[in-house]
Amino acid sequence: MKKMFAGFLASATAAILTSGIAAAQCKPQSGMPDYTGVTINVGSQVGPFIASAMKQGGDSWSKATCGKVQIVEFPFGELYPKYLTAFAAGEDAFDVITFAPAWTPDLAPFLSEMPSKMRETDAWQDIHPTYRDRLMVWEGKHKSQTIDGDLHTLHYRIDLFEDPKERAAFKAKYGRDLVVPRTWDEYYEVAEFFHRPNDGIYGVTEAFARGGQQFWFYFTHAASYTNHPENPGSMFFDPDTMDAQVNNPGWVKALEDYIKSLKLAPPGALNYSSGDTRQQFAGGKTSMNFDWGDTGTVGTDPSQSQIPGSVGSDLTPGSTTIWNYKTKQWDEFSRVIHSPFMAFGGWQAAVPELSEDKEAAWHYVEHTTNIENSSIQAITGGSGVNPYRYSHFSKDLWEKKMSPREANEYLTAQRDSLGATNVALDMRLPGYFSYTEILEIELTRALAGEISPQEALDSVASQWNELTDEFGRDSQKAAYRASMGL
Amino acid sequence: MRDWSRHVFIWPATLVVLLVTLFPLVYTLDLSFQNSRLVPPLPPKYIGLGNYTKLFGQERFWSVIGNTSIFVFVSVTLQYVLGFAIALALHSKVAGEKLYRITFLLPMLMTPIAVALLWKTMFNQQFGPLNQVFTFFGYANPPFLTENIWSYGSLITVEVWQWTPFVILMMLAGLQSLPTDIFEAARLENASSLQMFLGITFPMLLPLSAAVIFIRIVEAFKIIDTVYIMTGGGPGIATETLTLFAYQEGLKKFNLGYTSAISFLFLVFIIIFGLIYMVILKPQIEKRR
Amino acid sequence: MNKNSNQKIITQILCIAWLIFTLFPLYWIFVTSFKSPIAVTGGPTYLPWIDFEPTLNAWSDAFSGSRGDFFATFFNSVWISIAASLIAVVFGSMAAYALVRFQFRVKLLAGIVFASCGMGSYLLAKEIFDWKDTTSMGFAFLCALILSVISNRLPLPGPVLKNNDVVFWFVSQRMMPPIVSAFALYMLYSKIGKDSGIRLLDSFAGLTLCYVAFSLPLVVWLMRDFFESLPVEVEEAALVDDVPRWRIFLEIVIPMAKPGLVAVTMITIGFVWNEFLFALILTTGDWQTLPVLLSGQNSYRGDEWWAIAVANIIAIAPMLIITILLGRMMRSGLMLGSIR
Repeated sequence: MKKMFAGFLASATAAILTSGIAAAQCKPQSGMPDYTGVTINVGSQVGPFIASAMKQGGDSWSKATCGKVQIVEFPFGELYPKYLTAFAAGEDAFDVITFAPAWTPDLAPFLSEMPSKMRETDAWQDIHPTYRDRLMVWEGKHKSQTIDGDLHTLHYRIDLFEDPKERAAFKAKYGRDLVVPRTWDEYYEVAEFFHRPNDGIYGVTEAFARGGQQFWFYFTHAASYTNHPENPGSMFFDPDTMDAQVNNPGWVKALEDYIKSLKLAPPGALNYSSGDTRQQFAGGKTSMNFDWGDTGTVGTDPSQSQIPGSVGSDLTPGSTTIWNYKTKQWDEFSRVIHSPFMAFGGWQAAVPELSEDKEAAWHYVEHTTNIENSSIQAITGGSGVNPYRYSHFSKDLWEKKMSPREANEYLTAQRDSLGATNVALDMRLPGYFSYTEILEIELTRALAGEISPQEALDSVASQWNELTDEFGRDSQKAAYRASMGL
Repeated sequence: MRDWSRHVFIWPATLVVLLVTLFPLVYTLDLSFQNSRLVPPLPPKYIGLGNYTKLFGQERFWSVIGNTSIFVFVSVTLQYVLGFAIALALHSKVAGEKLYRITFLLPMLMTPIAVALLWKTMFNQQFGPLNQVFTFFGYANPPFLTENIWSYGSLITVEVWQWTPFVILMMLAGLQSLPTDIFEAARLENASSLQMFLGITFPMLLPLSAAVIFIRIVEAFKIIDTVYIMTGGGPGIATETLTLFAYQEGLKKFNLGYTSAISFLFLVFIIIFGLIYMVILKPQIEKRR
Repeated sequence: MNKNSNQKIITQILCIAWLIFTLFPLYWIFVTSFKSPIAVTGGPTYLPWIDFEPTLNAWSDAFSGSRGDFFATFFNSVWISIAASLIAVVFGSMAAYALVRFQFRVKLLAGIVFASCGMGSYLLAKEIFDWKDTTSMGFAFLCALILSVISNRLPLPGPVLKNNDVVFWFVSQRMMPPIVSAFALYMLYSKIGKDSGIRLLDSFAGLTLCYVAFSLPLVVWLMRDFFESLPVEVEEAALVDDVPRWRIFLEIVIPMAKPGLVAVTMITIGFVWNEFLFALILTTGDWQTLPVLLSGQNSYRGDEWWAIAVANIIAIAPMLIITILLGRMMRSGLMLGSIR
């Protein structure tokens, strides 16, 4: 008994000593600041998407600087109220917040500016300018760091499009070859062709449900008809008067298209959120869809998809006619103009002013998004991180996950969309939710056939104008112009 | 002697409730008279009854009240009838009683959000089991969550599934508290089960029934998770409920003044309803005591 | 006798039908937690190994912490639920008992005194004494309370609120949709934390206090009915024998009201365990509870049924155990008859 006790005492002491030594032994890596004793609270949606990326960066950062990182996770829909409540009460609850760019206007007053030395590194130049100079900026200041890239790209079934029988039948019916659609009209021809409910395959799948990211899908349609190359920033509002543009003929045509999509989608599509569209496509139920990069990663993964190896990608369809709000006419172009839509814009990370460890927090953000860490995140399936750096587009990274052809098309589609001259930015305004709620309600009504597209959009426009007046037309206009880079 | 013991009994509860709920109540009332918005940050100013008049004038408000009321009354009626019936069944020594007792209570103990998500899968028009059942009977792909009557039916089904156990539990406890001698006396006089139910059971349990129904109605009015997850408020605002409406205004748009007005009106409405309820039922209850 | 057996058949059918209705969805989530994404998107599948290949992926994901820390939140939920429910049931049944056996008279004017003295002393403390917000509030509360209790004893004119109205007041606390209350409580806790250093936000005490306050109305309302149906004679006999009230309460009343007590405890635990809004707003990293984590499984980019199913099962398992335990206590109603 005595022996056991002595032995226990000895080993306990040894354990305490060594752990004490081990703890005391944390030394920051060379060139890294020492943040021992600092704990960074990071707010994020529940993992694995984004949270796992922040964790990966956090682990790496802890090893490098001896600081601690604690990721606090919330349901996505509740992030916004959680942040605002904390800021409104002046609580220092978060050192880093991850959030959607659409919330930037509402959160910006509470965020600190990015330290200038972060902008002087090589890694800074590696960030794609569309993110670096447009999304990460608000009112002239860099207030957030992109941690994820987001835009909509088109996906199509390689196996169906290359099947000789299908190609012959298509040519016979439409008089042209079966190719990836370049315009929305072509998109609908292909969709009609493949819409065979009796065989269990449908044309397209998009999100239509209220609260299911539906309006982004509508925006992608609308961008093609309303993002005029010569009238930058005129998609949502008139940049000079802040009148809502959502009921102009471009938007109406887009809504008519959107309703057409509903008819060529699987049953129950009216209740689809973006996740459902992904599942439908990966389940082999539709010939095409458009979506964020997730369809690519899910569809090519044999453990999650019925169609691995058949996921083709391209730019979302464009149009040869675009509405000109100044001349109030449709302008014809000699070639198809694509307006890839930066739906959602991609998660951002920022450091609130209230945080007491701002320097450490920004250092953590920089570390997590550096080239090495972000590349690991970009190819890891569950991280939710889509490419936003030039180095993310290197093919070697991706060929481990997808077939060479899929990887090639996937990356090209993303890169070309980002670099397109007529890329369309998402809407970012103070009071964002108020605007989108109105849109969602009227859209679902139009989709259900209760009102006509023109009525729905007229209603949206008038309600939006009321909102703008209530919030202050001048300040809203300034914010809108800033968000569009005017 | 009597004086101090009654205080000991009642003050702890009263104090806790006062402490925690007083400030929010006053704050809410105060805010409801202001034009307070967090986003975009406008300096709040007092606008008297402005929020209330705006609310009354908004068509959406009335439509939401209508939806919620239909919803509440249908589902609570179903819950009460079914719940009472099952409680009676359990009380009458049916075979497998022990198993039933445990399993019947489970739905009530699940998180409402989880229940909503679960039923959303079940109602899925393509991957859901219910669709298979309906297709089997010849009606393929019913629009469970997308068309008006169907979506109402689906939402009510979920509510009934989750909250009938509450009624079962309470009524069963009530049944078990009934004194057995009256029943024995009635049986000796050869009363039929129906007579015993109508003459003894139901009247004796009337106070409890009233309480249970009242609580279910009050709680049902606050339904939000089910609707939010399953239909998002329905096509347009067809299935939007009062609390969902308040939630959008309050925690998404941070239109605090307006939300406070909604919350307060809601409170007033329920209080009035409760008073009417009690006034109607009181004589019935007193009669049976 | 035919009637009797007919009845038995009907009851049996009813129970079985309800059982299927109740259990099928539960079976569904149980089975879904073992499904891989393909098994879900291909169409409804019911039987493991026959319809689809079961996998433990969803389970290992949950336990690995990549979908949120299930262990910590689970224990947070357990501690808070037990503490809040126990306190609420104790305080609540005491209050319910008092409301059934004693006559309370609260003069409406006394209530008005409460409100006006409260406002007055708050402004006094804040503007003139220049105390901090929360100290002023505490001061105001005390003044208002004392003054109104004293004024209640004076013969004031005006309507008198009786027991039923007090109960109604209790219940009315639960009637408001908690949205602005949650926000207001956050502000209050935040202020208290800043002014006095007592940490209520993201703390055990803060959340438990909130839950006790919001569960009390239900407990009081329901227990009152159970207490009312108890025979007064037994207690009166004990009173004549000079038995102190608290002993009557503990040794006579509580045992008699056991079925009701058990039922109400179960309901309260259920309510606290599953409460979402206050948990979301009032906690951050340290005391996050299960419902918040659960709703987060529904990621904004798609419903991952398998993850939701696992979280669901983790959340409901303790409730199942509690149901079994408390259910045993509810068994015999014979208890009542015997006491007579």
